[in-house]
Amino acid sequence: MAMPVPQADVAVIAHIKSNFSSLTAKQVQDIFMGRTRIFPNGKFALPIDQSSPLRAEFYEELTGRPVEQINAYWARIMFTGQASPPQRLPDDEAVLQTVRENEGAIGYIDKTRVDGTIRVLLLVQPWKP
Amino acid sequence: MKTIRSLTTMLLFWVAITAFAKDSYPDFTVTGFGTLGASGTDTSQLSFRGTTKETPGVTDSWGFDSDSRLGLQLDAAINSSWHATVQWVARNTTGDFLEQNLEWAFLRWRPADNLDIRAGRLGFDTFMLSEYRNVGYAYLWMRPPHEFYGGLPIYHFDGADIAKKFTVGEGIMTIKAFGGHSFIQIPIPNSSVIADRSLSIAGGKLAYEVGNWNVRMSYSYLLNNLELAPLQPVLDGLNNAAVNTVWPSAQSLSQQISTKNKAFHYSSIGLAYDDGVWLTQLEASYIDTDLITYPSVANGYFSLGRRFGKLTLYSLFGISETLNNRVKFSNPLAPVPAVAALQNSIGRLSNLIGVDEKSISLGLRWDIHEHVALKTQWSHYWLGDNGTALWLAPASGPTPDIVNVWSVGMDFVF
Repeated sequence: MAMPVPQADVAVIAHIKSNFSSLTAKQVQDIFMGRTRIFPNGKFALPIDQSSPLRAEFYEELTGRPVEQINAYWARIMFTGQASPPQRLPDDEAVLQTVRENEGAIGYIDKTRVDGTIRVLLLVQPWKP
Repeated sequence: MKTIRSLTTMLLFWVAITAFAKDSYPDFTVTGFGTLGASGTDTSQLSFRGTTKETPGVTDSWGFDSDSRLGLQLDAAINSSWHATVQWVARNTTGDFLEQNLEWAFLRWRPADNLDIRAGRLGFDTFMLSEYRNVGYAYLWMRPPHEFYGGLPIYHFDGADIAKKFTVGEGIMTIKAFGGHSFIQIPIPNSSVIADRSLSIAGGKLAYEVGNWNVRMSYSYLLNNLELAPLQPVLDGLNNAAVNTVWPSAQSLSQQISTKNKAFHYSSIGLAYDDGVWLTQLEASYIDTDLITYPSVANGYFSLGRRFGKLTLYSLFGISETLNNRVKFSNPLAPVPAVAALQNSIGRLSNLIGVDEKSISLGLRWDIHEHVALKTQWSHYWLGDNGTALWLAPASGPTPDIVNVWSVGMDFVF
């Protein structure tokens, strides 16, 4: 490659049978921020969050905002009774397991944990305004 | 036998769909939020309070309870389209501590992805922050702008709302309509009286969220169903036949002063911008009323903040001005002491209840942990003559024109 590509460390993953091959960063953002509850193909999306340190990295790279701002955003949505934030699992292994078992699930893991049992929808690039 | 067989079939079918279901329902979650805050002023002649629902406020002897609260929320996802939420907040309030602090208790039905229908006890969504004023962690300042939110004692109502979301361009538009009834208890200054207010509420909002921008406009109609109890002796006096022979305008004055069946119209616009580094927000409202004891008022604020890593520095300007002219009435025909006393109390009622307040604030928010923020704020208030309705003034004696309020606090969510 002629141009150096910024290092992507977080992979957004879905079920191996999901019938679309990729999502844009904005589509992933809309799903994880609760702005939409459906995939572009009209199927119901079940975002899976993490409670590991990868969470801060994922949101900072995806949205360009520190994780405290994401938490404040969800505090506003949740405590006004509009919606609930994505369910959180402890680590990559738990996310992988859930994504393998659920066709609607969408999660994120450390890129080095990607294997052939799931489909990668997006490699999250560091945010550029 | 047939019944048992079909029951078994149904049970097996139910086990099968449950096993393949994406989530396990019902799914219960308990979350919460809180603020521990302390505030103090540089005067003993006037008490500062967050809203007109609070008493006694803080003076130059500092206090905790105006800014401190603890909220708990229970969410139950019954299935993918039905959801129940209950929220209760321990805080300084007036009236029934359990009932008045029950913020939400509603059932939400989501028949389609972008349509929500809710019924039960709901947030009064009339301004940008009016549904999450208690959740300090979710906003920048020590407390919602005093000039804008201090005069809004209504947090919730019992009724229903419907909200529909549309994709418009790159953003999302929300249209919401709501209606119901609110019972609130408010303190009457300089007395231990608690006034019951019963309001019928109907309103709507239009909001648009795109990129870093958030804009909304809303309107609410409120109808006051009860007479404000402390007014009753004055009204009885004005309606008295003997009083009317000495003072012919008394009866029509009574109709002007009466609060029963009088309406409020809340109109507002709001704009917020947040690009992760700079954040700004402004709101303007006009509350139109026919009540002499609650005159029409125009409110606004503007806030500008900048983030430096975990620190956010902000400034805030607020203004609230009563617009109605003072009530004018003809004098009695003869100097009868009882009528003169009545006249005096009407003069007090109609001239002591205005808002004439401006302020500038500087503050700092420090996100010390993923779920904890520390805040400090200095506010400098200018108060005009008879303009302290959002504060608690002593029954007599001069009140200061300038008050400084200092606050420190910690907000958290869990």
